[in-house]
Amino acid sequence: MSPRWRPDFWSGVLVVALAVVAVLMVWPLYNIFSASVIDNRSGALTVANFAQILGRPAYQGALINSLIVGVGGMLGATLLGIPLAMLTTRFVIKGRDLLATLAVLALVSPPFIGAYAWIMMLGSNGWMRALLADIGIELPPIYGMFGILLVFSLKFYPFVFLLTASGLGAISPSVEEAAESLGAGPWRRFFKVTLPLVFPAVSSGALLAFVLSIADFGTPSIVGGKVRLLATTAFDLFTAEMGGNPGLASATSVVLIAVSMAVVVLQRWAVRRRDIAGSLIRRPSPQRLGPITSAAAHFVCYAIVVAGSLPSLVVIYTSFRKTSGPVFHPGFSLDSYARILGEVPHVIVNSFAFSTGAVLLIVILGTLIGYILARRETLAAGALDSVLLVPYIVPGVVMGLAFVVTFNVPPLQITGTAAIIILMLFIRRLPYAVRSSAAILKQIKGSIEEAAISLGARPGRAFLKVTLPLMLPGVIAGALMGFITAINELSSSLILYVGRTMTMPVRIYLSVLDGQFGTASALATILLAATGLAVFVVFRISDRKESVFV
Amino acid sequence: MARVELRHINKRYPGVQALDDIDLDIESGEFFTLLGPSGCGKTTLLRTVAGFNRQDSGEVRVAGERIDGMPAYRRNIGLVFQDYAIFPHMTVGDNVAFGLRNRGRPRQEIAERVARALDLVRLGAHAARLPHQLSGGQQQRVGLARAVVIEPQILLMDEPLSNLDAKLRIELRDDIRDLQRSLGITTIYVTHDQEEALVISDRICVMQGGRVHQVGTPWEVYARPATLFVASFVGAMNVIADLRVGAGGALALGLASRLAPVLAGRDCVTLAIRLEDMTVAGTSEDVPSDALALDGAVDKVTFAGREAFYRVQLDDGPQILAHVHRPERRLLERTGARVRLILPLANVHLFDPALGRRIEAVS
Repeated sequence: MSPRWRPDFWSGVLVVALAVVAVLMVWPLYNIFSASVIDNRSGALTVANFAQILGRPAYQGALINSLIVGVGGMLGATLLGIPLAMLTTRFVIKGRDLLATLAVLALVSPPFIGAYAWIMMLGSNGWMRALLADIGIELPPIYGMFGILLVFSLKFYPFVFLLTASGLGAISPSVEEAAESLGAGPWRRFFKVTLPLVFPAVSSGALLAFVLSIADFGTPSIVGGKVRLLATTAFDLFTAEMGGNPGLASATSVVLIAVSMAVVVLQRWAVRRRDIAGSLIRRPSPQRLGPITSAAAHFVCYAIVVAGSLPSLVVIYTSFRKTSGPVFHPGFSLDSYARILGEVPHVIVNSFAFSTGAVLLIVILGTLIGYILARRETLAAGALDSVLLVPYIVPGVVMGLAFVVTFNVPPLQITGTAAIIILMLFIRRLPYAVRSSAAILKQIKGSIEEAAISLGARPGRAFLKVTLPLMLPGVIAGALMGFITAINELSSSLILYVGRTMTMPVRIYLSVLDGQFGTASALATILLAATGLAVFVVFRISDRKESVFV
Repeated sequence: MARVELRHINKRYPGVQALDDIDLDIESGEFFTLLGPSGCGKTTLLRTVAGFNRQDSGEVRVAGERIDGMPAYRRNIGLVFQDYAIFPHMTVGDNVAFGLRNRGRPRQEIAERVARALDLVRLGAHAARLPHQLSGGQQQRVGLARAVVIEPQILLMDEPLSNLDAKLRIELRDDIRDLQRSLGITTIYVTHDQEEALVISDRICVMQGGRVHQVGTPWEVYARPATLFVASFVGAMNVIADLRVGAGGALALGLASRLAPVLAGRDCVTLAIRLEDMTVAGTSEDVPSDALALDGAVDKVTFAGREAFYRVQLDDGPQILAHVHRPERRLLERTGARVRLILPLANVHLFDPALGRRIEAVS
């Protein structure tokens, strides 16, 4: 620190940012950690909670199931994502943009919609299952581990697909040609040259699939049947009718965080010294395939993407069917929409209001913090950067529990208010906005601001007149993506909501549990429409780069 | 018009002394160049004057007024950047008007001054364009207009030509020089290109490792380098390091007899001579009394069109490069030929091997 350091606007921002992160993230998570090692009754320090999780078969099973779900979801996403990326970047596939758009839409639609849409298709009374039974194929109902993995694979493959595709696009064709001229055949070339080069991209997609799979709460509780996972166990332990068990719920949460963290570290280790920044003089150009191989390639691509989009289509279709209560009748109507507008209009208003509020906060603070991280290299900024990694690995369920534990009591007693939900959405999505605005700023040369300052603009004016206008498209794209994730948030809202502050995802979840598929679909369609609109705008302002979504 | 005084400026970064007691006086209206390899501290010094780096100690005075405590936006200094730093979302006209608007000048005056500044850099017709519609050279001319339109006390330029291709670089170099002359504005210019520095400057300050090696006119820096570093950084120079004065051999012999007065009391010296400062002669050529002679064989001939070079393997020691003026065809076919290099004493530079300082009084 220089001897004549004077506090300026940015040091004020840094102080506010540190305070916000301390109150909304560090403090709640600290409470979860301390609750996990303290006996519920005596208040003494104990490892009993962890001993139970690792010792008792029921909890052991949840841990093992979570790992299976994580690895399975990751493998499924990878097995769908890599071929799709390979085929669409290396060969001429018609409608590549359409495929990418559908993949993005599948990515941003909430996972629990996929879960109950698959129940409508392959559940006990699912129409697709009935259809297949008619032609002699008997499938067991989807409930259980298979259902969870199916939903996650089809839900998270776009991460692997989009990241791998952009990774493949950055490999100079000369490298593959060099391998070929040295005598490597197509398979050897793929496994020895291409795949190692895109491994960092593949593995970050796979990592996202793993972390999101074990963090997801809606899917396993809708489609999981009797399969217990860490996320659902923590939720049940906390909300159980008979008082719950906060110590054990917290310990479960800590284990969940630990698993995520271990996988993040593993991925970082696996890609160490793999940051291959090639200079790209030639861009790869897709090759034409023969008629039969081309047809096969198209079939594979469209099969994957259509399967991923099927849930949304089913949900939209269902929302327009004629219903009376839970029973569907032949024909179409707007009954379901009439019902939700009559019964729960506040839920729709809440969803839009909370998300908008959270996004406004995220944009303002996220942009400012992003600026500090990109432009100032101080110790405090570095600390802030590391702390902001935390929300990436803390599941919504855990963050929700941490918020309840922390804000249920004075000095900040805000449980049951809209504020707690907005703050939750805010802190969970803040890091994404920070990162995207820091990334944009890294592309804007620092000399531009210095030019403004040397021409007599104060730092604040230089930021407003020069930096901010250049950042704006990126900031708006970031805001819309924050809005998409905020409006689709289920797990933490489910823990924090009361009747007045119910949101659409919560209502959909409850309706699905009640078997009210009509109203659930109508609400889900509204969510999908809002999400799709936001995606459309992002495409318009970011020169349609699918990679901005991952 | 303003004199710039830099007094004992020090700046330390972890592990490096970026600026080591820099003490310079830059005259009013002078074109002053900071020259040195990357990492020598020249940009750090420029940014200290601009107000984007804070020195650990020392003073910066412009026209007698101390400015080193002032924030950058209050110093009245024009700055031209290596990467142009044109505001991409503003038109050319708005870019140039930006500084005047910060100063709250009336509209009419801004319009007039912007038009005049753009005319000065021959971009009068481009005021309404957006920067991405301009070439790199045009963008840098916008940068120049934007910096001078505020009528700064001094103009700072940080390698303004290094992002341009060779032809444009020469063109814009002349433009910058003409503009600076006509405005008479005190200018500090940073470059690592010694040729550019020689062409453009009134005086050059050669820096290395955060220290000033020499301040002088282009002629002084080229013809009388103060240190071995300056000698080898500016222009091409043959260096024969650590010659033992007392030892035998052809090389040492000439040294001992003809340079005896200068070398008295030394047992070791470093000799340097420019490629073009010696003549290539036959081995039977007589050696004038005011010259040294070095015998050897041509090892390699390099032809570069306008000129050619011989690499000569000296009989006792290193290889040195000699410049061949107006290379004729027969002169290019001399690989293996024995030659005698004649080095007039007036052209020989001697340096103290330990300190790298020039040993004067070679005449």
